[in-house]
Amino acid sequence: MAELTYSQIDNTVIETLQPPPRKYWIVVGLLGIGILIGASCWIYQIFTGIGVGGQNHPVAWGTYLINFVFWVGIAHSGTLISAILHLFRAGWRNPIARAAETMTVFAVLIAGLFPFIHLGRVWMVYYMLPFPNQRTLWPNFMSPLMFDVVAISTYLTVSSLFWYTGMLPDLAAVRDRSMGMRKKIFTIISLGWTGHHEQWRHYTRGYLFFAALATPLVISVHSVVSWDFALGVIPGWHTTIFAPYFVAGAIHSGLAMVLTLMIPLRMIFNYEKIITIDVLENVAKTIIFTGLIVGFAYATEFFIAWYSHNIVEIESFRWRATGTYSLPFMIMVVCNTIVPLLFFIKRIRRTIPWLFGISILVNIGMWYERFVIIIGSVAHDFIPHAWGTYSPSGIEFGIMLGAFCLFFFLFLLFVKHLPSVSMTEMKESIAKERQSHDH
Amino acid sequence: MKRRTFLKITGIGALSVAAGCNTRPDKALFSLVEAPDDMVTGKASWYASTCRECPAGCGILAKNREGRVIKVEGHPYHPINKGALCMRGQASVQAVYHPDRIKTPMLKEKDSFKAISFDQAQLILRVKTAAAANKGSNKVHMMTELVGENLLAIFSDTMNIWKSHPPVVFEPFAYESLKMANHKVFGLEGLVSYRMDQADLLVSFGADFLETWLSPVEYARKFKAMHAVGNGTKGAFVHVSPFQTMTGANADLWLSCKPGQESTVAFGLIHEVLASDGQKAIPENLKRELAQATLEFTPEKVIEIAGVSLENYRKLVQRILDAKHPLILATAAGSSGPASHAADIAANYLNVLLDPDLSLMDFNRRHRVEMASSRKDVHDFFNGLKNRQGDVLLLNNVNPVYALPPEIGAREVLNSENHFVITFSNFMDDTTACADLVFPTSHALESWDEYSGVTGIVSALQPAMGSLTPTWDIGDVFLMAADSVERTAENYKDYLFQQMISKEILKNDLDWLHMIQRGGIFDTLKSDETYKYSAREISAEAIKSAAVILKQQLDEPENLLIAVPSVRFFDGRSANRPWLCEAPDPLTQVAWQTPVMIHPDTLAQYNLTQRDPVRLETRSGVITALAYETENVRPGVLIMSIGQGHEGFGRYADNIGLNPLKLIPGTIDAHTGGPVFSGSVSISKNGKPQKIANTDGSRFQYDRKIALTISLSELAHKSHKDPAHGEKAGLTMWDFPMTLPLPEGYDKKRDFYPPHDHEDYRWAMVVDLDRCIGCGACAVACYAENNVGIVGLKGILEQREMSWLMIQRYLDLQQPEKVIFLPMLCQHCDNAPCESVCPVYAPHHSKEGLNNQIYNRCIGTRFCSQNCPYKVRRFNWFTWKWPNPLNLQLNPDVTVRSKGVMEKCSFCIQRIKVAHGNAKDEKREIRDGEIMPACLQTCPTGVFTFGNLMDKNSKVRQMVDDPRAYQILGYLNTKPAVIYLKKVLQEI
Repeated sequence: MAELTYSQIDNTVIETLQPPPRKYWIVVGLLGIGILIGASCWIYQIFTGIGVGGQNHPVAWGTYLINFVFWVGIAHSGTLISAILHLFRAGWRNPIARAAETMTVFAVLIAGLFPFIHLGRVWMVYYMLPFPNQRTLWPNFMSPLMFDVVAISTYLTVSSLFWYTGMLPDLAAVRDRSMGMRKKIFTIISLGWTGHHEQWRHYTRGYLFFAALATPLVISVHSVVSWDFALGVIPGWHTTIFAPYFVAGAIHSGLAMVLTLMIPLRMIFNYEKIITIDVLENVAKTIIFTGLIVGFAYATEFFIAWYSHNIVEIESFRWRATGTYSLPFMIMVVCNTIVPLLFFIKRIRRTIPWLFGISILVNIGMWYERFVIIIGSVAHDFIPHAWGTYSPSGIEFGIMLGAFCLFFFLFLLFVKHLPSVSMTEMKESIAKERQSHDH
Repeated sequence: MKRRTFLKITGIGALSVAAGCNTRPDKALFSLVEAPDDMVTGKASWYASTCRECPAGCGILAKNREGRVIKVEGHPYHPINKGALCMRGQASVQAVYHPDRIKTPMLKEKDSFKAISFDQAQLILRVKTAAAANKGSNKVHMMTELVGENLLAIFSDTMNIWKSHPPVVFEPFAYESLKMANHKVFGLEGLVSYRMDQADLLVSFGADFLETWLSPVEYARKFKAMHAVGNGTKGAFVHVSPFQTMTGANADLWLSCKPGQESTVAFGLIHEVLASDGQKAIPENLKRELAQATLEFTPEKVIEIAGVSLENYRKLVQRILDAKHPLILATAAGSSGPASHAADIAANYLNVLLDPDLSLMDFNRRHRVEMASSRKDVHDFFNGLKNRQGDVLLLNNVNPVYALPPEIGAREVLNSENHFVITFSNFMDDTTACADLVFPTSHALESWDEYSGVTGIVSALQPAMGSLTPTWDIGDVFLMAADSVERTAENYKDYLFQQMISKEILKNDLDWLHMIQRGGIFDTLKSDETYKYSAREISAEAIKSAAVILKQQLDEPENLLIAVPSVRFFDGRSANRPWLCEAPDPLTQVAWQTPVMIHPDTLAQYNLTQRDPVRLETRSGVITALAYETENVRPGVLIMSIGQGHEGFGRYADNIGLNPLKLIPGTIDAHTGGPVFSGSVSISKNGKPQKIANTDGSRFQYDRKIALTISLSELAHKSHKDPAHGEKAGLTMWDFPMTLPLPEGYDKKRDFYPPHDHEDYRWAMVVDLDRCIGCGACAVACYAENNVGIVGLKGILEQREMSWLMIQRYLDLQQPEKVIFLPMLCQHCDNAPCESVCPVYAPHHSKEGLNNQIYNRCIGTRFCSQNCPYKVRRFNWFTWKWPNPLNLQLNPDVTVRSKGVMEKCSFCIQRIKVAHGNAKDEKREIRDGEIMPACLQTCPTGVFTFGNLMDKNSKVRQMVDDPRAYQILGYLNTKPAVIYLKKVLQEI
């Protein structure tokens, strides 16, 4: 990193904002079509009934909530990287902080969509808002879903503000180097940043506070999401380890998604010098750690089921491992806990194809973890007569496709229109290194 | 443009856009210009009538709201059913409002039907029959379903005018064998009724008396009168048959025998009874003859021939010898043929030997279905027509094309150009499609009539609503069909009245009104008509003929297909009622489809598994049915339900399920003139496994605290204070104490939320598993009362059935022939897991303890269903459809739910509200037993008890102290308000 200069950083990053080639717009267009497919599926579902999905009795929650939890999970590591590692002064996170934080904002947005898609009567969703009304009807604050409403909206608000605040000096840098329309737009969105030292003083203090505010959210939001399940009575859900288990899982999946996004990003935008292999290696090391936590949680669940002597719990976990959904269960275990162990080998965690491949596998594994928990538990709970199975319908796949397209659509627009690496923080770390060299 | 003009244009534009965008049609409510006298809007009128869904003839009360019948319920004072009704009776309203009901008469022109008016149809009837009668005698032929005495008289009279024979009365299950056995043994060619309630042991040689046999609602009640536990004992029931259907599943012992070998067992039992000491007053010669005939039927021989287990056979013998009031029942409604005839004869002799007075048989109360013609006559009817020309055929509400074996050629006869065929039918079913003239007549709920299911009563029918279509009563059609005689009555109603006056059943108009009001006259038996029976007059001739029959039957097919009548569709006449299609079969739990029940050994033998399509081939035909693996049949025996597989018969029956009768040979048993319902079948795999529409996720309950049993001996030693009632209480599944959904059930250590306060009432239900026979009448009554949606075959396959109350069927893990039925409904928990998780308070705990679901408030998160340990909540995945005019049946007191909301059992809150209203009007409390939820109301065996748990003297409160009481999964501390009483098992 030492060979980088301030202007090199500026040049590399602002280079990415050059008018994109045709290929770019073709990809964006294709993603747009994917979004339209998802949207039409949703509209069809609203007019026909939620039955166009595959949910049934007893499995009343399907991919919509799997995707909800999946995207909330993805969101988490963004904040972990941008906020928690910032507080820990882990310098290696600087090159990927911006992209990770962006990922957070978009992932929360998409996660927030899924509860709406999931609702049987989405047009009545405002019943969940605590607005004063003639009937003096209030939402039920005992319900974990109300916790969700509060937690997700808080998280979205804080992470967007954090993201935007962090970007201000960079927006100004872009403004200073651009012409015409872009200049006008960046003038407005950089909020009159001049780089005055007084501004910097407020900015760094504000950023720190935001980081401190966002940090507990990383823990709390996914704990709250886990309570959607843990506060229920269903075997496989009703367990106290769910909050830490879900947080670890969220970070696990989020880190994998960071790798999935960063590796192409640095290739396409020639960020190799900024997002170095060391950075990726650090992410990989963290994935080993989170993977081990997740694996421990899996083992704990089985141990407690056995230890409880409760035949319902025991059967629930026996079936989880050997029943209808034993394949998703195997995918979950292998992809989340066994595959990341490969990162113990230095060559693997420093080889791009390996890193990329394993990150994809972890993403798949984490999606299936939610599948196993959400589907597998209610499919086989207390009353054997009500046992059933579930498989997603075409409409659900359409909406899932739409959601992924929306995420990459937004992310692609972001990388070509906003600085995808934090120039400010990169310069700070160079400055710090120089200082340490000088002394 | 001026500012004012602009405002005008935008104003009017916005308004017109807003108004134009409203796509909803007017939803104005119109009141009747001239309301009927007895109609009060919002208040139901009840009309007493008689159910005509099967020959049993139960009394019904039809509930009329604003001019439409919306529900039928059992008539509480009717001697046959005493307030109960089976699922078929419940579904009879769906025939009135069926969307595919034929509205006008139709005349066939070339290959299509043309609608004509009723007058035209009547004219054609008169002209055609008159012309036929002019050509000579016996040119008009009639076949009718079993009808009442007076209607049958009109038919016969009219046929007489046409110089023709009286009509053939076609009932697919006509009990020829039993009738003949009664004739041979007792000298009475009829079907007596049984005082089952007074027996202490029932042995059935296959009689499915809880499903279709003679009078199922009556016998279900009587069965539970003897079989439900009381005073520490209960009667016993042994089922001797190669298979179990619902009736067999209720037996204390299923003595599995080879098909057709019930007779051998019966002979063996005669042998044993005669061999034992302490015989009763039987004439010596009869004893000797019987002993002679059954000489060779030693236990060893019986075991060998009938393939029964020696241990079980000995148990049965011992039980019979020990019993004080044993009653032996004959073979099933559907199984006839030589073997069953021998069994029926032997069963009659057994009854004589065991109780020479035959005190448990009522010879004066005979079932009307004895009037049905034998199957031989039915076959002769069609055979006789094959070589004739230019005759007129009249078919009244029968479906021989469906119900007769194909080789009889009913379809060919009806389709041929040789005859003019008139069907009096409301549906385009298999037979009606062959007609030249379709003449729809009024449904039983729309017409005047009389139908008495047993002798000794008169049971009336009256229109419970105005006709939906301008149809005529069949009686009126026939009164006007022939004009050569002068009629004394203007219409059929007058005719009925005159007949009853002339028979001295009625004296005057007032009596008539009373009869109509009460639904009939229930004590018309005159003493000089009674049948005198004496054991002395009984000859032993019949046992000899039975012994001859037994010797004849030798060939034992490798695989035998038996077609059995179904509790859901009877002989197929109810197959187009969506509720019945949707209600799963009690034993297989399969809805909409007709699987074939096969033993696992047989499946393995042919390399088949559950859900494989099995090609079934007999010499009569081929069908492919899905295999249903079950140990409730013997290896080598294949069971299929009769009722589905129609060609036509409306959207809910056309090509739905399969008709096993297509595989049955048209053999007539020479001894009885009856049909057979079984045939040798070859089986092979035919395609890839398909989905079976079963509603059960598992057949077993895996030792969970769900449907519990207790043995009779355990019960005797059990004090009221058992662990579940407070002693040695713990927190696990089995030692968690019974916790009532009352403030007293609150425990600081266990409860997070404070107890609910209840105002005066806390509604609760007690479900006695010992009484539940699994018939599913309650579930269908619930559909009828609560506007529960029909999801169809696709919906069932997607596990989206909507039943608020389901009869769960669990098999014993070790002994699958031990079956337990469990009515599962919302438990109205005091600590309801559904209530706390809903973000918008749609599940709401009422002041009376009800767990209400507020449909308007529900946004469809489905969290409540996810978190319900009992999985009794149902989600509206779509807006379910009630095709016109099926929607006219909907109960106006219950919201029709639209897509996206959750629903579930409400304890029939609309009925609770009515009781509140009545109590308030009369300034009193609601009386115990005043509220009858629909399930409780229709249950033939008294499974349910509903009442107020706050009232220390209420029945439910007292039943809660029963040593059998428990709460399903009570250890979750949900504090359910549905308390179950364990089923009592006994060793035979």
